[in-house]
Order: sequence, then C-alpha cells, then structure tokens
Amino acid sequence: MKIDIHTHTKKCKSGDAPTREITPEIFCETILSTEVRIIAITNHNVFDLNQFEEIETRLGKDAQVWPGIELDILEGEARGHLLVIVSPKSARDFSAAVEKLTKGFTPDNFTARIDGILETFDAFNPLYVAHYKQKKPNLSDAMLEVLETKTQKPWCVIKEVTNSISAGIYISHGHSSIYGSDIHDWAKYEALSHDLPDLRLPVDSFEHFCLLLKKDTTTINTVLDRKTPEELVLHPFDDGSELSIKAFNDINVFFGPKGTGKTRILEAIAKHYSENGVEARVYVSASDNLDEIFDTKGKNLAINLNAYDINYCTDEVKALRGASEVSVTNLGKFSNYFRETNTSKNASKILLKDIDPEEGGSAKHEFTEFNLAVKTTADFIKFLTDNPSVKKELDDEELTDVTRILSELLTRLGKREWTSFSDWKEIVLLNSAIKTFRREIERKTGKPAKPTTTGFRDYAMNRIMIEVNAAKIVKSVDTAIPMRTELVGSLGLNKGDLQFLTEFKFQSGAVSDGALSSLTAVKKIPQKKFVNCVRHILEHAYADDLFQHISELNAIEDVENIKTVHELLLFKRYFALNGQPYSPSSGESSMVMLQKELGTDKEVYILDEPERSLGNEYISDVIVPLIKERARAGKKVFISTHDANIAVRTLPYSSVYRCHGPSGYKTYIGNPFTNNLVNRDNAAEQLDWKKTSMKTLEGGEEAFGERGKIYGTN
Amino acid sequence: MEQINATVECLDGKYFIKIKTGGEDISIPMSDDKPNEVKSAFNKIITRIKAGEFEIKLEVVGEDLFSLVANEYLAQLNREIQEVRNEMKQYGLVK
Repeated sequence: MKIDIHTHTKKCKSGDAPTREITPEIFCETILSTEVRIIAITNHNVFDLNQFEEIETRLGKDAQVWPGIELDILEGEARGHLLVIVSPKSARDFSAAVEKLTKGFTPDNFTARIDGILETFDAFNPLYVAHYKQKKPNLSDAMLEVLETKTQKPWCVIKEVTNSISAGIYISHGHSSIYGSDIHDWAKYEALSHDLPDLRLPVDSFEHFCLLLKKDTTTINTVLDRKTPEELVLHPFDDGSELSIKAFNDINVFFGPKGTGKTRILEAIAKHYSENGVEARVYVSASDNLDEIFDTKGKNLAINLNAYDINYCTDEVKALRGASEVSVTNLGKFSNYFRETNTSKNASKILLKDIDPEEGGSAKHEFTEFNLAVKTTADFIKFLTDNPSVKKELDDEELTDVTRILSELLTRLGKREWTSFSDWKEIVLLNSAIKTFRREIERKTGKPAKPTTTGFRDYAMNRIMIEVNAAKIVKSVDTAIPMRTELVGSLGLNKGDLQFLTEFKFQSGAVSDGALSSLTAVKKIPQKKFVNCVRHILEHAYADDLFQHISELNAIEDVENIKTVHELLLFKRYFALNGQPYSPSSGESSMVMLQKELGTDKEVYILDEPERSLGNEYISDVIVPLIKERARAGKKVFISTHDANIAVRTLPYSSVYRCHGPSGYKTYIGNPFTNNLVNRDNAAEQLDWKKTSMKTLEGGEEAFGERGKIYGTN
Repeated sequence: MEQINATVECLDGKYFIKIKTGGEDISIPMSDDKPNEVKSAFNKIITRIKAGEFEIKLEVVGEDLFSLVANEYLAQLNREIQEVRNEMKQYGLVK
C-alpha cells in the first residue's frame, strides 16, 4: 500500500503543465492501476470541491482521497510552498475556508503568511507538508519553526523532500520527512508510482494517520496486534534462563553488539518451530556453498528423455549389439533339385510339394492392423460408457446412439480381424506344409527337394532391422535438448539476473568440448566411439563389411555399460549473466544465496546477519524489498543484523535489542513506530529506538550522517 | 512395375545369373557355393528395392540345367523381393 501526499489534478497557475489536468474518471482509473491507496489532491492555491467529491464517490472504498491544497507562502522576501491536507470529513468546510482565503486572488498572484495559514486551517487539525531543502520553492527553517511552534499538533508538520533517499537521511536526523509525486504528467504516473512511499502500517483514515505520526502507543499497538503476534518462550542460553519475545508474522529484528547471543536466540527460535512441526532453519551466509547448492558438478543431475520425446532405444541398442549375419540358401540346392529328378511314383502324386510357398508378410500385417483397430475401438467404447465427463456432456439417448454406432463398427472390425487372421494362418499353414512335405519326400526318397527359399527374405530383413535400429539410435542422439535455465537471483539493477544453466548434449560422435562431462559412469571416449560405430553401421547397413562395424561396436571398452542412449549424454552446468558464462564473486554468491533463501516459500525465515559480504545498495534495492514482500505475505521473518539498511528500512514490527553491561546481559523489546525499546526485566528502563539502532548498527550518529554524503544530499 | 532382365552367363566354365539393373550388374554364382558373393548380390538388390518396385525376368529360359535353376531361383527371389519391399514400406524405407 503506497501513499501519495502531493498530486495535482488541474492546471491552476500559468506555469503548470497542461498534462496536470485530469478528469475524475481517468484519475480514479490511474490510481487504481497502481499500488497507491491513499492520495491527497493538492492543486496550486485552489480546491475544487465538486471534483473532489466526484473522485471520492468513484473511488469508494478502493482508495482514500484526502482534500488539500498547495499554497504559496511569502514571509518577507522568503517564498515557499506548503501543502495543507485535511480530513475528507472536513472537505466542505475546508473548501469554504480556501475560498475565503483566496478570494480576490488568482492562483498566480495568491500568497499567504504562516500566521494566516494557521488562522485559517489549524482548526481543521491538518497535515502540513512543507517543501524542504532541495524541494523548491522551499520553506525556510525559520518559517518552519513558526509553523511547528504555533500549530496545535506539531507532529503533523512534515517535510517534503525529493526522493526516498533524502527522506531516509532526514528521518535518520530526526526530521519527519516524506515525498510525493507532485505529478506533472499523468501519463507517467503508473511508472512513477513505484517509487512512492510504502505504508508499513495499515492506515484506516486521515485521523488514524495523524495518530500514527504522533507515535501514539495505543494506536500503534492496536495496529501491530492485527498481525496476530505469538509469544515465544525460549531458552537460548546455557544457563537455562528464559527469554520470552513477541513474534509477529512480519519482520522481527534482533540487533546489538557482537557476542550478545543473537545467533543463539535465532537457533532457539528455529528449534521452537521445528519442534512444533514448522520447517525452520537458521540461514547463515556462506558464499563458498553456491557450487554445492546448485550442484554444478551434476552429482544429482537427472533427466527424463521421454519428456523430450526422445526414445531411450533400450531394445535397439541391445539388438544392434547382438546382431549377427543370416545365412543364405546355397544355389547348389537348386542345382541338385533339378539334377536329381524324382522318379518315385508316390512322390509324384504328392502335388503339394510342387506348390510355391506364398508370401505371408502382407497378410500378417493386415491382421495386425485390424487387431489394433478392434482393441482401440473396444477401449474407446468402454471409455465412453465409464467416463463421467462424457456422461455429463451427452444425454442418455446421444450416448446410446454413439455407443450403438461404435458397437456396430466393432462387430465389423471383429469379423475382418478374424478373416485376416485366418488368411494369414492359412498361408503359414500352407508354407509349413510345403516345407514339411518337401523335407519328408527328400528324406524318404533320398532325392533333394526344391528349396523353399533363396534366403533373401531373412537376409534382407536382418539387415533392414539393423538399419532401423541404428537409425533410431542416431535419431535420438541427434535430438537437441533445450537448455535448462534457472533464475539464481538478481545481481543488482546494473548487472541483471544471474542464471544457472544446464546444457544437455548427446555425444554425436563429433563433440569434443572439454567442459562437457558424461552424465553417467560411461566415459567420454567410449561414448564417442559408440556413436561413431552406430553411424558407420547405419551407413553400411547394406554393405559387405557391415559386421566388421558391429564387431568394432562390441569391442568398445565398457560397451556393456551402454544400454540406452541415456548413457551417451553429456552435460555442463554453469552460472551465466546475459547468456554468457559468469563466475559470481564471493559477494555475489552471498547475494543470490540470500535471494534463494527468501525465494523459497515457507512460513518462517530465520536470517543470521544476511548483510554479510553484501553492499548497501544491494541490500536496499533487492534484499529489503524481498524481506518486506515476505512480511506482506504474512510470513514470520526473524533477522539478526548489524546493518541499518535492514533494521531501519524494513521497519520491523518487533525489534529485540541485546546488549551487555556491568550488570550482565539485557534485552530490550520495542519497535520503530513507538520509537522506544523497553527492558523486558524493568519496564521503566527505556531506550530511544532510533538512536539505539543508529548507534549500534552504524557505530554512532556521525557515521549515519556520513551516509548522506555518500548518497548525495539531494 | 519395372522389369529388370537377367541372363545366365558362363565364364571359364562357371555359371552365373547376371541381373542387369542399369547400373552395376549383379552377379549370382550358380556353379559354386559362394555365400559371400550371394550376400553381396543380395545387398545390392536390397539397395535397388529402395529405389523402386521391380521384377527380375530371365531373358531366355532354356532347357539346360542352369537355365532351369536360374528360372526357379529368380521366381522365388521375386516373391521374396516383393515381401521384403512390403516390409520396408512399413518402416518407411522405400521411396
């Protein structure tokens, strides 16, 4: 949920861009297309009540719109802009007050003094948002001091700066700061809205927002308790002492000097959840584990070739390795038959022996086709009658019709199946009888019978099957397998996303990339020899030297371990940036491992100093948003940190501060919203959350101030 | 169906069936049992089957033993060629 305290809907001053003009309809559409759910309309020296009310009606409960105005303030020579924003409940009175104040002026020539503003608007309990420093034209410190001194609610005076970094710096220095879009062109609002402030706590209304600004403890605790806090009773230390903390399904931060037991507390939290059946472990940054975590050596790498429509070729490999030559019929048998004319009277009566055998392959094929058609049709009829979806779609009459037609088809197919079977077997029987009679007559008469075959059929079919098997293997190993791409994490806005790539490649016979490893125990040289042999076999399927190549195949070292094409797979795994191999540095490894941890969906995240080896910019741009996103999803995030970016920018619901002094260890619990930390053993002893966190996390307020110089004080 | 002619040839007293495919002739020895030469001839026939359907016909069928043998042998071979071609069709190996 984002807030925008500074928008324009009208071109009021002559210097205003025309692109500030927007209709209520488009305004509402634009706002609802963003994450902005609280928006203040602050036109220059004008408040349009009708427009406000139309927008309020159109937005309904989808978003809050607050009435406001951006006023020109003139004190002596000093000129500045001040936003005055009031409760929507006061919109009508506010409109009247604006009208009275600006009467006789145009937006271009209107100016007011701070006293006049207070006199007109302070009774509305407004929010004053003053242009500050680089936000021009800005109110001077003197003008602001007057405003803060004379208003009834000084906590409602906020300084408007130009961006989030400036706001962070001013907040760290004790100034209430915020920034708004000050939109000049509504066409750019959606993109621009991403940088607007997030509301860490839910804001129900304008009045609620003001109470939160006041850091009203009751209001804050009521809001915090919406997150269903849980009381954790832990025993993290060796002395068995008890530590009870309130854990939110949000961000819970532990900070304090080194050696104050923060890691022990995190371990105790992990133990607590694990014992209650919730997956929880302490994440500790260890950049050298990246290769192991991603299994770059592929120890557990597996692939299912069926998923890529690749045949494993188990039968084909086996058949090829076991292939042997088939004999042919000696032509001498034919010569002998014609040379020795059979003179036996009985033999001459057996005419069957003189019939030529018939070709049975076609008949067998026809039967196979009908057999398959019968089975498929029968299965389909069963599917139709059993399937609930079909029954939902077809009424009884339709289903009966479909079933009847298919049953008739099944009957006809069944008849054809039977006749084709009998035709096939008739040929088989005939050929068998011819062969048997010829053999018996040959045996009884001692005269050679006419050979039943030249041997061509069996010889050719053997070679054909060798070609078919070799072709299937080659087809499989010539199939390209798409690269597997896994997003590891972002290396920051400049570098982009680090990916982890897994390339699978079959040894095609010509692959010689040294970076590729064999996926199985079969070594690379036998793989290469095997594929080359299969290619030679395919090329020489009808050559006289075919079986030399098959012998070479069987002579390959460890060939018995190659049972499928899976054993011919090679792989390489590597990290890549923009598609190019990339070796992440130790810091970058830490970055992506932390992202991976936060990217894993679970209920409890426990991070021990996640900032280790990471740069401030990366923590702010990537890690803090990820942590916030987990918190928004209602997950419990426990973080031990020495980093102000994490402790401050995440605005944790719970902060546990551990320290050690002359009287031993102390534990303070609080949050940034009330800005205090309370000693759990002595409620009277309280610390300022902001000061303590800055002192502990950055080594003193001076160090925190230095950050302004690093970022630039714009 | 294309018809390919064959003849019975005698060279140095050895008889052969010579099949004239248009390219390299295919020779099948009849006088001696030479299985490797028969296999080599079969390899060429298989390759020829891939190019198109055909039948081998003995140009002149004489009454001598080798003509009878060749005639019978080719009749059987033609039947088997047809069967093999049908099988090759199933595997998509013929044009």
